[in-house]
Amino acid sequence: MSGQRVDAKVVMLGKEYVGKTSLVERYVHNRFLVGPYQNTIGAAFVAKVMSVAGRTVTLGIWDTAGSERYEAMSRIYYRGAKAAIVCYDLTDSSSFQQENLWVHELQNFEEHCRIYLCGTKSDLLDEDRRKRGVDFHDVQDYADEIKAELFETSSKTGQNVDELFQKVAEDYVHFTAFQVMTEEKGVDLSQKSGTYFYSCCHH
Amino acid sequence: MAADVHKKKSWEVSNGLLAPADGQHVAERSESPTPGLAQGTEPGAGQEGAMFVHTRSYEDLTSSEDGGAASQSPEEGQGDQDDQIKMEQISKDFSELSTQLTGVVLDFEEEMRQSKDDKLDLSPQTSRHDSVLSGKEEEDVTMDAWRMHQKHVFVLSEAGKPVYSRYGSEEALSSTMGVMMALVSFLEAEKNAIRSIHADGYKVVFVRRSPLVLVAVARTRQSEQDIAHELLYIYYQILSLLTWTQLNHIFQQKQNYDLRRLLAGSERITDNLLDLMARDPSFLMGAARCLPMAAGVRDAVSTSLQQARAKSLVFSILLSRNQLVSLVRKKDQFLHPIDLHLLFNLISSSSSFREGEAWTPICLPKFNSCGFFHAHISYLEQDTDLCLLLVSTDREDFFTVSDCKRRFQERLKKRGVYHALREALLTPFYSVSQVGISDLRHFIYKSKSSGLFTSPEIEAPYVSEEEKERLLGLYQYLHSRAHNSSRPLKNIYFTGQNENLLAWVTSAFELYVCFSPLTTKAAAVGAVNKLMKWIRREEDHLFILMPQTY
Repeated sequence: MSGQRVDAKVVMLGKEYVGKTSLVERYVHNRFLVGPYQNTIGAAFVAKVMSVAGRTVTLGIWDTAGSERYEAMSRIYYRGAKAAIVCYDLTDSSSFQQENLWVHELQNFEEHCRIYLCGTKSDLLDEDRRKRGVDFHDVQDYADEIKAELFETSSKTGQNVDELFQKVAEDYVHFTAFQVMTEEKGVDLSQKSGTYFYSCCHH
Repeated sequence: MAADVHKKKSWEVSNGLLAPADGQHVAERSESPTPGLAQGTEPGAGQEGAMFVHTRSYEDLTSSEDGGAASQSPEEGQGDQDDQIKMEQISKDFSELSTQLTGVVLDFEEEMRQSKDDKLDLSPQTSRHDSVLSGKEEEDVTMDAWRMHQKHVFVLSEAGKPVYSRYGSEEALSSTMGVMMALVSFLEAEKNAIRSIHADGYKVVFVRRSPLVLVAVARTRQSEQDIAHELLYIYYQILSLLTWTQLNHIFQQKQNYDLRRLLAGSERITDNLLDLMARDPSFLMGAARCLPMAAGVRDAVSTSLQQARAKSLVFSILLSRNQLVSLVRKKDQFLHPIDLHLLFNLISSSSSFREGEAWTPICLPKFNSCGFFHAHISYLEQDTDLCLLLVSTDREDFFTVSDCKRRFQERLKKRGVYHALREALLTPFYSVSQVGISDLRHFIYKSKSSGLFTSPEIEAPYVSEEEKERLLGLYQYLHSRAHNSSRPLKNIYFTGQNENLLAWVTSAFELYVCFSPLTTKAAAVGAVNKLMKWIRREEDHLFILMPQTY
């Protein structure tokens, strides 16, 4: 039972204060909480059921804390993840510079994890274009280079948020369907071998 | 105010019988509790043994078992004359330094301007960002308002680097903290240790826990001992985020490490702890407060918790707004009240646990300061204050532990206690009028063997926050007199302007009672006996008498 209730593990990564929790909040509860900033403690888990091409997929989303204190711990949260949403603040170039570290770690330790770059707080740019601290084309080039998808979102307005997670789920369905066909089941030693022989002798 | 203090026994022995010889026997729980009850038979004592590490007394909490830093005063006991000379020297040094200190605060702006070139992180943008991250507006430390705070708390590293300040930004206070460190080092050079400075209505209390130094500047009525106790809580709070091992490792690697980097975002938790200590008697009592509820409901909750166990689980705790509903622990593993308070504080300081299920590393410093537990924190329902805390040893065990929560909720529903539990939440406090003693305004009763205390709602005339804190301040005062390490007291009758208070400390329980100012000492003593009987009668409602283990 345990662990089985989730189809795809999705992990949110990125520096503190880029808005990972707000993004999850918008996606899961469709709301945006205005109030003083509250940093996430450790990590928070939410499961979200969605349907993709007639199939139900349960995304298990791990919203991790951005603060340095938990960095050593982050591996347990992204281990085995099918998708990583690496967030940066569109108005804060330093938050994008940290992106590289996460991407490197993912590429080194989780080769099956698909990466989604997510620029947050795009509504701030709508107010004032000069606030943009990270150039769209630079990130697009980077995304192509590391074979990642790129989304620019706003948790406040909801812009592109559903699209992002929809894409995550679609990719998951698409790629696992492919995996099931290619992945041969190995021999399970713990299984009683009797059944094999029985069927064998009768043919 | 006149404090009328009895050394002992003016009215303590009413039946001439101190402590039944075989005090541990449940069957012999006394019907009408008599003074001098043996530990384990007082009202509120658990029937299956304690849930907590046995903290016999308040002194246990403040003793120097950890780090050994407090025992660094080898000169102690060298004779009064010696001390006298040293004190004079210290106060002379301090008066010189204190003028310096004031100067430093006033001049800091100028200093900042000078150092701006080589310290990039002092730019206004970064500090704005920092204040957003910590979720509070930073105060201007040059303002009078900043100086007027009742209690300042500073944490610094041994290199004199700021780690935390309750008010004002740490950057702005870096030179002040430098002076504090200079004070500490100055005395240490002489193989001595600074404990406190008393001047001008202020108490400046130092607690040294290498590699950190904690300093409080207080105008409250608390004793030096109590303030030091609070500072220790702050130290443990920091350990709970980092572990003692990691903290020491970091400073061994790099002495002038800026610890704020690792503590980023935790200011809120520390702030909350300080606020909580000013208004919640749990910390003073070194005990946990139980949410009053019918014994049957509580037992059903405990059993459900006990059944929803997993191999890696050590503690399962159900709480509501800093009040304990139930605590189930692994056999032979005990939680320390300080650790429980840190957990309560962590939960109350963040609303983020209301979203989904949190899974966070946490060190319980009194249990083991070297490693992390992993805590699963979640609210049972979006709209209740019932929070479930499952403490596991295995960081990989999230889904197993999460499943324990599901099983617990299923059991609750099956047993049909969910509704009753929610009902109990509606009346988290009882009124003191239920006791039926006129002139009785409020009390705190702690059962020492169970580590639990009970206390009615604070009612009129203690309506405003200031009045509530003043009442707690009076309790703090009585507590510090009762637990004064050089001259502990068992019975205290205190006559104040606005109320009379009575304190009674035995080996089994502690009782602090507040009466209207019109009451007499004789009436108060009679009322206390009646109150004890009432608590005995209500104990299964007010305490956890049947703690469970798995």
